[in-house]
Amino acid sequence: MSQETPLLPERDTREAALFFVVCALCFLAALAALSARATYDAAAGWTAEVQGQITVRLVDADRRAADEARDLIAAVPGVTGARVMAHEEIEALLEPSFGAGGLPAGLPMPLILAVEADPALENLAPDLQRRLTEAGIDSRVDAHETWAGDVRRALGVVRLVALSTVVLLGATAVAVIAFATHAALLARRDIVDVLHLSGATDRFISRLFERRFWVLGLKAGSVGALFALAAVALAMSMASAGSGRSGLLPRLSLDPTDLLILIATPILAALAARIAARITVIRSLKGAF
Amino acid sequence: MSIGNPDMILDFAVRLDGVSLRYDSSEEILSGIDLNLKPGSFTCLTGPSGAGKTSLLKLLYLALPPTRGEVSLFGRRTHDLSRNALSNMRRRIGVVFQEFRLLNHLTAYENAALPLRVAGQKEMDYRPDVEELLRWVGLGGRLDARPEQLSGGEQQRVAIARALVNKPDLLIADEPTGNVDPEMGERLMRLFIELNRRLGTTVMIATHDLTLIRKVEAPVLRLQHGLLVRDVEFGGNAA
Repeated sequence: MSQETPLLPERDTREAALFFVVCALCFLAALAALSARATYDAAAGWTAEVQGQITVRLVDADRRAADEARDLIAAVPGVTGARVMAHEEIEALLEPSFGAGGLPAGLPMPLILAVEADPALENLAPDLQRRLTEAGIDSRVDAHETWAGDVRRALGVVRLVALSTVVLLGATAVAVIAFATHAALLARRDIVDVLHLSGATDRFISRLFERRFWVLGLKAGSVGALFALAAVALAMSMASAGSGRSGLLPRLSLDPTDLLILIATPILAALAARIAARITVIRSLKGAF
Repeated sequence: MSIGNPDMILDFAVRLDGVSLRYDSSEEILSGIDLNLKPGSFTCLTGPSGAGKTSLLKLLYLALPPTRGEVSLFGRRTHDLSRNALSNMRRRIGVVFQEFRLLNHLTAYENAALPLRVAGQKEMDYRPDVEELLRWVGLGGRLDARPEQLSGGEQQRVAIARALVNKPDLLIADEPTGNVDPEMGERLMRLFIELNRRLGTTVMIATHDLTLIRKVEAPVLRLQHGLLVRDVEFGGNAA
């Protein structure tokens, strides 16, 4: 039995431009989604790093007072470790500000206690502050909450921007496809009219266009996702070829969730194309008798 | 108390009541047309160019709604039918367009089979019938030819096969002999008459060709400036 020829001609040069546009939109959307996820992971990592860490700065204290404070803190339930930071450690912390040449002579150096605690415990820092004050030790307890909060807020904004970009690109793709479907419908008016007068229902005609744009979305989305995959792989290889220090920048990865995003891109593109085609064709046909 | 469905108007294949048509804000193309065609009748429609023949046919094959008045087909008023019901009604109408309107990317066979494909029938079920129909119109050897490989007469016969393939209750042909030589025109008319006699299909043909009309010896309606000059109820088959 011979294969039935599709009722819409298969080759249409106008669709090449649409293919390119959808492909580019899918590439950008996939990249934006991967960036949003990398940012999310980075935020989670940075927050986890500082959670459970408390710094206690002792004011006008000597080494004996520091040991006393350390013992007091170590005895508090939930605290898993407490130690007085060595002079070299404090110098290393200040190195980004003062350079590697060492601190200026005579610069008063605070004594700092590094405290490890159960990250699940809340309000430990105020509790420590209260106990130290009651023991007559002048100190400043910092749970890094301010910094972590700033980071979380900044990353929240970045994430929102990335997600908005994904949504915007998706909406643009749908609008472009709707426009292209309408143009295709006008270009194929002769065929649509013959089908219509042969008794084709609106659904029958719309399914022809839906199928066409589903395939186009799937193909263009796959190519776009492949380009996004290549871009991420390139970014990863460049990052690993560098110093290995990524600083505060989110790092792109290719874990199963990222691969899921890449696989979902063509499916979502095809789905959006199909829905856009359906709505456009049905709406357009409803205007006719 | 009324009995039966008030929307059902029996005993006619086509009925127009006070039908008028205008495109956008232009003058009326058709004005107050009343027309009854009985099932199995054969009618010719003639008139000068621009008289509104094609527009009248468009109303009959449900390509356009009337601006005023009412079109009823097969005992049903069309103005309040759902879109799906209109599609189903169109499947009962075969149309032969003057310009053929074949799909260029399909073969003669696929073009002729189009209404069956649209109706959701399986190719294995309809293939023998379509091939036989194409043989009947003299195209048994051109099944796989695309429209650009066919002559005007051959294309017209494919269009006729497409119009007949689902055994329509109403066949409408708009200048079916306009693009073919006189000999082919006569053959096509004989084909319509045979169809009318053998299957009882109601046939309406619009044509300029008075010689052909005289040969057919069918009742004639004449349109002039959008008015049906002779509006007679015709019921007989072509002689």
